[in-house]
Amino acid sequence: MTTAPVNKIDNTIEDPENRPQLILNHTEFGTVTTDILRANESAKAPKSWYFALAISFTLMSMLGAMIGYLIFTGVGVWGNNNPVAWGYPIVNFVFWVGIGHAGTLISAILFLFRQKWRTAINRFAEAMTIFAVICAGTFPGIHIGRVWLAYWLFPIPNQMDMWPQFRSPLLWDVFAVGTYFTVSLLFWYLGMVPDLATMRDRATSKVKQLIYGLLSLGWRGSMRHWHRYERAYLLLAALATPLVLSVHSVVSFDFAVSQLPGWHTTIFPPYFVAGAIFSGFAMVMTLAIPARQLWGLKNFITMRHLENMCKVVLFTGSIVGYAYAMEFFIAWYSGEIYESFAFINRAFGPYGWAYWIMVSCNVLTPQIFWFKKARNNIAIIFTASLLVNVGMWFERFVIVVTSLANDFLPSSWGMYEPTWVDVLTFLGSFGLFMTFFLLFIRFLPILAIAELKAIMPIADPHGHGHSYNEMSGETNAQAELAEEDE
Amino acid sequence: MSSLNESKSNGRTWWRSLDEVVATEAFQSKVQDEFPEGSSELLATGDDRRHFLKIMGASMALAGLGVAGCRRWPKENIVPYAHRPQNTMPGIPEQYASCFDFGGFSQGVLVTSNDGRPTKIEGNPEHPDSRGKTDAFTQAAILDLYDPDRSRKVTYDGTDSSLSAFKEWIGAYLPQNGAGVAILAEPSSSPTFERMQRAFKKKNPEAMWVEYAPLMNSNQRSGLDDAFGGNWMPVHDFSKATVVVSLDDNFLGAGPLQVVNTRGWASGRKVNHGSISRVWIAEPGLSVTGANADERSPMNPAAIAAIATYIAKEIAHVDMAIDGTVSLTTEHQTWADKLVADLQKAGKHGLVLAGASQPASVHYLVARINERLGAVGTTVSYRTVNSNQTHTIAELSKAMQNNTIQGVIVLGGNPAFDAPADFKLADAIKALPLSIHLSHNEDETSAVCKWHINAAHWLESWTDGLAADGTVCVGQPLIQPLFDGITSIELLAILAGEEITDGQTLVRATLVGKSADSWNSTWRTAVHDGVIANSAMLEKPPVNRNAKKGGSVVGGNGYTACFIPSDSVWDGRHANNGWLQELPDSITKLTWDNAALVSPKTAEDLGVKQGDMLNVSVGNESVTIAALPVPGTADDVILLPLGYGRAFAGRVCTGAGVNIYPLRTSSNTWAAPAKVSATGDSYPLATTQMHFGVDTTPGKGAQDRLPLLFREATVDHYNANPDFAKHVGHSSHSLSIFEEQQFVGAKYKWGMTFDLSTCTGCNACVAACHAENNIPIVGKDQVLMGREMHWIRIDRYFAFGSDGHGGYDSSNLASVAIQPMTCMHCENAPCEEVCPVAATVHDTDGLNVMIYNRCVGTRYCSNNCPFKVRRFNYFDYFRRDPLRATGLLQVQPDYYVKAQSGGKTLRAMQFNPDVTVRMRGVMEKCTYCTQRIQRVKIATKNAWVKKSDAQKQADQRVAILDGSIVTACEQACPAGAIVFGDLMDPKSRVSKLHNEKRSYEMLEELNIKSRTKYLARLTNPVDSAVTGEGGHH
Repeated sequence: MTTAPVNKIDNTIEDPENRPQLILNHTEFGTVTTDILRANESAKAPKSWYFALAISFTLMSMLGAMIGYLIFTGVGVWGNNNPVAWGYPIVNFVFWVGIGHAGTLISAILFLFRQKWRTAINRFAEAMTIFAVICAGTFPGIHIGRVWLAYWLFPIPNQMDMWPQFRSPLLWDVFAVGTYFTVSLLFWYLGMVPDLATMRDRATSKVKQLIYGLLSLGWRGSMRHWHRYERAYLLLAALATPLVLSVHSVVSFDFAVSQLPGWHTTIFPPYFVAGAIFSGFAMVMTLAIPARQLWGLKNFITMRHLENMCKVVLFTGSIVGYAYAMEFFIAWYSGEIYESFAFINRAFGPYGWAYWIMVSCNVLTPQIFWFKKARNNIAIIFTASLLVNVGMWFERFVIVVTSLANDFLPSSWGMYEPTWVDVLTFLGSFGLFMTFFLLFIRFLPILAIAELKAIMPIADPHGHGHSYNEMSGETNAQAELAEEDE
Repeated sequence: MSSLNESKSNGRTWWRSLDEVVATEAFQSKVQDEFPEGSSELLATGDDRRHFLKIMGASMALAGLGVAGCRRWPKENIVPYAHRPQNTMPGIPEQYASCFDFGGFSQGVLVTSNDGRPTKIEGNPEHPDSRGKTDAFTQAAILDLYDPDRSRKVTYDGTDSSLSAFKEWIGAYLPQNGAGVAILAEPSSSPTFERMQRAFKKKNPEAMWVEYAPLMNSNQRSGLDDAFGGNWMPVHDFSKATVVVSLDDNFLGAGPLQVVNTRGWASGRKVNHGSISRVWIAEPGLSVTGANADERSPMNPAAIAAIATYIAKEIAHVDMAIDGTVSLTTEHQTWADKLVADLQKAGKHGLVLAGASQPASVHYLVARINERLGAVGTTVSYRTVNSNQTHTIAELSKAMQNNTIQGVIVLGGNPAFDAPADFKLADAIKALPLSIHLSHNEDETSAVCKWHINAAHWLESWTDGLAADGTVCVGQPLIQPLFDGITSIELLAILAGEEITDGQTLVRATLVGKSADSWNSTWRTAVHDGVIANSAMLEKPPVNRNAKKGGSVVGGNGYTACFIPSDSVWDGRHANNGWLQELPDSITKLTWDNAALVSPKTAEDLGVKQGDMLNVSVGNESVTIAALPVPGTADDVILLPLGYGRAFAGRVCTGAGVNIYPLRTSSNTWAAPAKVSATGDSYPLATTQMHFGVDTTPGKGAQDRLPLLFREATVDHYNANPDFAKHVGHSSHSLSIFEEQQFVGAKYKWGMTFDLSTCTGCNACVAACHAENNIPIVGKDQVLMGREMHWIRIDRYFAFGSDGHGGYDSSNLASVAIQPMTCMHCENAPCEEVCPVAATVHDTDGLNVMIYNRCVGTRYCSNNCPFKVRRFNYFDYFRRDPLRATGLLQVQPDYYVKAQSGGKTLRAMQFNPDVTVRMRGVMEKCTYCTQRIQRVKIATKNAWVKKSDAQKQADQRVAILDGSIVTACEQACPAGAIVFGDLMDPKSRVSKLHNEKRSYEMLEELNIKSRTKYLARLTNPVDSAVTGEGGHH
């Protein structure tokens, strides 16, 4: 197996004269395709892939077992109790929705902002989004007391003449997450069509040909196809953009619209969105670092990509930190005894440890990215991204649990402790996520091949001495975009 | 009948014919045939195969139609009456008066019967103690009837036998003249019991007769014997008292006289000419009375006796020394001086009481003090008590050891469990050739007796008894004995060789004469009313001083263990009652266990915190029990609630708590010098309220907000600022940005008030709600997880004084706040907005209603409820027995299996048919007893419809008489602290209370507009001019 050499090209240097290279060691389109699809097309995946899949699949099966146990016995198998009626399931829901945030942000917003580096990460970030939203969607579904009636949350005409109660943020959630999932899925799939066609064309077996053929919807790469594709992609990007902001705003309404001290906060929508981008990017890095190693994609997901993501993490992490501080300020400034207590208790009460884990992971950890050395150190990036994931999970834990555990009346205060079912269900959701993700990197194009080609210097027909004009044709629209951008 | 129900607010029914309802066997068998659930055969054998196949067949037929076969609704066969008995209407509950004996006092009740099933107990308004009110024990008594662990048969030596076999056997075996036989009976006030006792004695003049109950007040009896000569007992009237001094008498707490005492006390707490009564209490631990007292001083029993001698000296000029007393500390001296001055000022409106734990001499002194105050006839009266005890339990024990006795007949009670440990009664009884035990359960005593005879529950028997003032009460059965038990009266009649052994005839003969038949009008009136009017027998005792019997007290150096009754299981008799086991203790909020209650300082000295195990040893015996620090406990005192740790393998009581009786000996009945040490182990204590130290963030936060939540002031402060409660915290402007439409067209506006001045926290309402609303118990493991299901709860807060640095001083217990809390029925209910499926909504009358079959269980409503009064069915609690599951699996593997094994059918008989039994996964909460509202509304509307058109025109609004709708909690509350009614009626009690100056809305600033308001608590400390800060500024 030969891959293009990974030279020590440093594309992280900011040179005002030259745009940094985003694809290293590739000057031709053909090798890009081959290199990206090499792992997909090899007869056997790396051993580590099988190993990871085995673990993930086991965890996923455990999730199924836990859900079965839950449905057979009752919500009581979890640690939820009277003041803390929402525990792990909702924490996990918000956590996974948050993770599922970065994908669409990268593919839609960064696309509209002409951030060319996004093309190397958008495909698997979107995949991550889809899988994370699946994980997220599982939890509200199973956390209700009578799972078999979950469909009552949907506005389905029925013989009872009953509609959902439209004032409830939970219902808004159903719409927000549902819409987000649908649009993300369409966007992801649409973007993948040309690459699926590439895989179909390169398929070596009948089965593969058939499957990829079906999936690629008869894509032939004609100019008309490209034209329609580009328009549709642009439109979907525009449609998805507000969703990026809305989904987590609506999720935050679950809390902000209630009147619980610690939940009833107007800062929640922007704070949740920032937090979601923060955790989403951290998750992208967590996935990208091993994936680029395993799949030999270091020439495509370069240090510059990682560095850019570090910067996003630093920025959103600081917003989150600001939000933490502002919550405290407002709690104090309001002079409201219950509100002030909720925040003091978060930091210094019985769940103080969770609060300080959250602060150190979410606010302090990203500060290391002020330093370029840290941004260029794979080990540091990976560790930091893991810590941010931990921190963001704890953020949701702190919000959900500490506010509920100590609300208005001290008589009803109570501590929440997860049970083994809670913990295994949470771990199981990682199994679900990773199983999907591992299957994705093995059977679907992990990078947006067609889009990547468009950001190569050779795709630019008016470039300085790189008139590989005659070869293109397929990426006209994107090349134009790229050109306008420059 | 409905028409009769309407005419009387309490819904009692006159019978046309007594026989028709209960007496004849023909009718009984008819009832059983009509209601297969109630038939004893079915209960004894469970669902038989034929029945099962029938149900299966029916379900299969439905299954063909689709998912219908998966439905869970129970299938029932409805059989119409061929001949409907007169005065009964299927589906219309009826109430019958009855009574039962508790602690030697007859408790008057009205029992609701639903189609032959007794389902709910209320107080009997005709009964002088009850006046329609009850305590928690009485409320929970209905569950005992359906206790699946009830003994179902007569056994001999562990093998099944029968009553006829017993009769045959005893006739041959009982020795002539009763020589060598002892009867060990619980003290009873029943005239028929006494009559049978006389008959027994006549036949068996040589027999010993011993009275024993672990919590009987024998010290008082001998103290009053010293004072007046003879068997006397005091009857207190708290309503006439302006100053009450309690020497360790928890008169408001659990006990047989709780209801009458609470009612009297509560009437004294109503502001009258700017003042209310004042209660002083000296006690070792914090009791319900202590929590509600105005002046409280924690001290050990010896110091209390010292206070008693001091008061006696100062007021009654009786100088008497008691063994073991200590000299008063300066602090106690100051306190006692103030007390004496206050008592002297009160004169004949003063009242001094002493608890059962105080020695006879203190009771003697108390009688003398009351006499001197002139209180006899105003606040305290006396009556004679029948006692035919020939020997004491100590003498019985000695006789057993000396082998001068061959047999013992135990009539009720459980001496093998609760007799003084030094008597080793269990072993002694076991060694006897003849032993008979009559009891509800095959308990510890049954295990050592040859014969076990299953007793009938009082709801299955004819009984009589005396109320506190001596009024004669009559108790009738509501149901044929489920398991053919007999009563102690009937057993005595058998033993006495009486010809007639039928309960009704025996009781009737006692009360109205042998010649009276069941048609006798005096008898019928007595049975209907449950009491015989004007039969009280209060009198002024003669002054006939006897030799002092004295007694001694314990306290002083080292630790003192005090044995106290449990608020939940009393002396252990209620241990197998799940409602009571799960009833949070009024002060500690502990369920399912007892604990060693210590002061925070003592806990610190011992190096323990809540749940750490202590080894408490008295003499050679020791027990290991978890510590529970309670502020307000005297230092170096260990309070040990009795009645737990039953060895009897009941499904409920198994594993609940620690048996304290081994420490309790005949010489140290109430207190003992003890050695205490920490073992280093710990034990989970399931309290329904968490404790946070005042030096922790939540602890301090709780103290900070307490004045907002619980508003109280001294009565002096109230006189100066009657609306003080309205100036605490923020209030809502109640502005709305839209015109509120939700109650347009409402005909009624239901509302409620809780009077914090009179709520003692006795838990009667909690138990009543349990019984009325089919609320499940969840077991210790679930309570530990905070999943108890009580719709109404009593919040208890300890308010601590300031430490002078912005914090709180945990050693300075300023007050104990007791606050009932249930759904507030907010008009702007936060729960309703967030429910995604509209399962909780408002009806036009303002009830915040739960639609169980719409609820999917998101629990969002609970999160958004600022009072956290919503309860979620985490499991199908009614599908399993209330067994406690611990360990890794919170749900035991045989979760569903157990539900099928016994008990389920029996338990289901208690259910209120008007209230849905909730399944798992749905939210539930207080409904303001919507079923009771509905019943009265329907009846009122039916009456309205029958009116002429002109009258209808004149009476546009169908007026519901104020007080005709009574919620279960309100009906039980002996203090009358709960009032429910229509706020739209300006003359209703609740409207007036809502407009009262001390009314306030909790968390008003959230603009939730709750329909339940609180009336701020008024206290009356002696130095109120100094401490009269009141409220919060």
